[in-house]
Amino acid sequence: MNDTSAPLRHLPATREGDAAKPIKSELLHINMGPQHPSTHGVLRLFITTDGEVVHNVTPYIGYLHRCAEKIAEGNSYHQYIVYTDRMDYLAAMNCNWGYCLAVEELLRAGGMEFEIPEYAEYIRVIIGELNRIASHLIAFGTYGLDIGAMTPFFHALREREAILNIFEKVCGARLMYSYYDIGGVKWDLPDDALEEIKIFLDLFPDKLKEYDELLTGNKIFVERTANVGVVDAATCQDYGCTGPVLRGAGVSWDLRRNDTYSIYDRFDFDIPVGKGLVGTVGDCWDRYWVRMQEMEQSSRIIQQAVERLPARGECMAEMPKNLKAAPGELYTRTESPKGELGFYIVSDGGPVPFRCKTRSPAFHNLHVIVKAGQGQMISDLCATIGSLDLVLGEIDR
Amino acid sequence: MVKLVKDIYETFSTIFKGMGITRRYLGKKPVTQQFPYERWAMPERFRGFVHNDVPRCTACLLCAKACPVDCIYIDVEGKGKERQMTRYAIDYNKCIWCSLCTEPCPTNCITMSHDYDHSVYLRERLVYEFVDEPVVPFKPSKEKKPEPDATGTATPVAGASGGEGGAQA
Amino acid sequence: MTQLLGGMPIMADLPGWAFTLIAMSGVGIILLLSIAVAVMIFSWAERKVAAYIQSRYGPMEVGPWQGTLQPIADGVKFLLKEDIWPTGADKPLWRLAPLLIFTGAFLSYVVIPFGPNFIGAKLDVGLFYIFATSSIVVVGIISAGWGSNNKWALYGAVRGAAQVISYEIPLSLAIMPIVLHVGSLNLGEIITAQRGWFVNWHAFGNWGSHGFAGILSLVSFQISLWIYFISSLAEVNRVPFDLPETESELVSGYHTEYSGMKFAFMMLGEYADVFVVSAIAVTVFLGGWYSGIPVIDRFVPAPLIFVSKSLFLVFVQMWLRWTLPRLRVDQLMHVCWKVLIPITLANLFLYGLLRTALA
Repeated sequence: MNDTSAPLRHLPATREGDAAKPIKSELLHINMGPQHPSTHGVLRLFITTDGEVVHNVTPYIGYLHRCAEKIAEGNSYHQYIVYTDRMDYLAAMNCNWGYCLAVEELLRAGGMEFEIPEYAEYIRVIIGELNRIASHLIAFGTYGLDIGAMTPFFHALREREAILNIFEKVCGARLMYSYYDIGGVKWDLPDDALEEIKIFLDLFPDKLKEYDELLTGNKIFVERTANVGVVDAATCQDYGCTGPVLRGAGVSWDLRRNDTYSIYDRFDFDIPVGKGLVGTVGDCWDRYWVRMQEMEQSSRIIQQAVERLPARGECMAEMPKNLKAAPGELYTRTESPKGELGFYIVSDGGPVPFRCKTRSPAFHNLHVIVKAGQGQMISDLCATIGSLDLVLGEIDR
Repeated sequence: MVKLVKDIYETFSTIFKGMGITRRYLGKKPVTQQFPYERWAMPERFRGFVHNDVPRCTACLLCAKACPVDCIYIDVEGKGKERQMTRYAIDYNKCIWCSLCTEPCPTNCITMSHDYDHSVYLRERLVYEFVDEPVVPFKPSKEKKPEPDATGTATPVAGASGGEGGAQA
Repeated sequence: MTQLLGGMPIMADLPGWAFTLIAMSGVGIILLLSIAVAVMIFSWAERKVAAYIQSRYGPMEVGPWQGTLQPIADGVKFLLKEDIWPTGADKPLWRLAPLLIFTGAFLSYVVIPFGPNFIGAKLDVGLFYIFATSSIVVVGIISAGWGSNNKWALYGAVRGAAQVISYEIPLSLAIMPIVLHVGSLNLGEIITAQRGWFVNWHAFGNWGSHGFAGILSLVSFQISLWIYFISSLAEVNRVPFDLPETESELVSGYHTEYSGMKFAFMMLGEYADVFVVSAIAVTVFLGGWYSGIPVIDRFVPAPLIFVSKSLFLVFVQMWLRWTLPRLRVDQLMHVCWKVLIPITLANLFLYGLLRTALA
């Protein structure tokens, strides 16, 4: 089909006798309100359109603001872990990990010496990557819903249930884990959970193939998402986008490779980068494709980690009961499924942090819609928002 | 013209492939568990409602201090030999089931049970009182800390035990 | 119907007009009731088909087996719901919309040929009548969207109206080769042209009357069938053309502001329309009430064959709904005007050439 995604131009109407007088028309101000059927959370988009073509998009956030950063100033380092779960609730383990890593780096910078056990590091990687797969499954499922294919959502949730069952065996909860702790993880990996992880790794590649047949190659899906919502590398850098949005734009930047933390340097995995296979580089299809590839790479990492898992041992370093960090401030970043999750912790020597700021990846990814949304149609706007994979809990904290 | 024919071919072939997958699913057994009639046993580490085994509680207040949302209400009166615990309540309106309270307990009397269905009709009923008359706190001997009992149910002693027509306990 | 009533003792004494009136109302009531029940069954079937495709069960609680009484529970729910009026709604338009949508869909049932003696009215312009009455639905859609005083409903309504009127063109053009072949718009005659073995079905080229040129008519009629099927999906707002009622963008498009019985009417109208377009496809292309094997035709009642074929097509529509994503509005229009219409026009022209060559 020829270029159906170019923005339509508004032609001035002329009739016989009219001296080139355009028809009087107004722009329509419409509100894609906080309550949405598409499951992004409570995001309000104020759109100014001319018929179907969008002229301006303004996102309004704050409907899910729960003062998490202020609460951090009243809770000890150990108690704040449960609040980090609730920021990006779909990838809670990765948020926990980001925060724990930040506190550990702060403690090390202040002079405290401790060693996180090998066993705990391997568990951290396995569980973190499993959660990456779970988060990308939701992104894939809800993206299908936005585009109109309602079936892949249920299939993705079925796979996610397998992962959540594993997490339930490991830490007892299905969504708000608070499993990682400062110095390691709270409990070790039980044997039945390890067996389930192996079973999951066996059946997952077939499911990925099924998703590809159902959605990725589907011509209608390709028509809806190729050449739509193009965000090029320069715009990404201007807005500070990271994660699949940046990698979809062609930039190979992944903190697990470029700014390695934990034991990621021991694993062999690729960084998928958008190449514009069915459209332009940086369109919605590329971001979607990057997420599908990342799921495959994550299962590779988990496979390697499970094979090299050391014998069961200590899962937590020796930490003092009342943790006090030396005065100072440090910013530490990790690669969460949505992008670069950073924690900037300022300590004044007491048992509670003085300030704990979270750099949330979805916050920066969201604002790209202001640039990418202009000139598109409303349906394209929905497609673009879906491809950015937003979680309002993280944006609003 | 050639592009049109190619596009039409691609459209139909990808649609048929997708339809093949959904057709296969029509014959498979669904994965849903019919909840009220079929239930799973929870895994060992499941974090259900918090249960406090009051006879073993030393009223050290460590669980209340560890709670991030301050949902454990403990009232202790008197000093020394007359020390008595008059109230031990957990407010499940606030509890987030994080199990941070189970970590510092010296006698492992506070544990996470495997209960999960305690819905009520009134919010006040969600404040579970574990003590109905003042108790003398437990004095632990020098023996080893007992292992937590993970199969206990969250059965409060008196008061708010569910709503009308509500939960078990 | 007249034969049935003529046998009754009282009826024969009534004057002519009263008799006709009672006969007609009898037919009307029977049709209405049976279609209402059928539509309720479709809504159950849609939920079950959707559920099994998505690896889950669907309605299971209500009713003795697999939630079969669920539509009754839904019906009771619709009756008991509060009728909410949006502020600032254009009341006459808003009230009129469900009636128009419902009427437009149900009026088409009068000419659907369930069997040789089971046609409501044997109109000579049957096919044309159906296209005419399905256009009433467009007026209903627009008044629903405008009368709701809701920008999103207006979007849905405008898209819906554009889509329905655009796709009526390939819909009717696709059927033209068949009409050219049969020589009549009467649905009963179109079916009788397909009697005999199933190679006589129009979908397979009607070899009986084309002889060896059956290959060419097969190709031509197959193209018609596929284009008819795609356009019919667009006519009834089913995926992949369900932009007027998308859930992710427009909440419910033009039915957003409706609740209770008004919404039930619109839903009934939509499912009724689904059956109508499937029935027309069966009539025109798939042999109508002939099963394709003459032996079976003598024993199995004609309406049963007709209805089961239509139900199969309805099932295919449901299957497509849960597999495919939806098209964007301008892509939808592009497909209609730049792909389907040229193909149908070319098809009509070539079939005309074939007929002149044969004659």
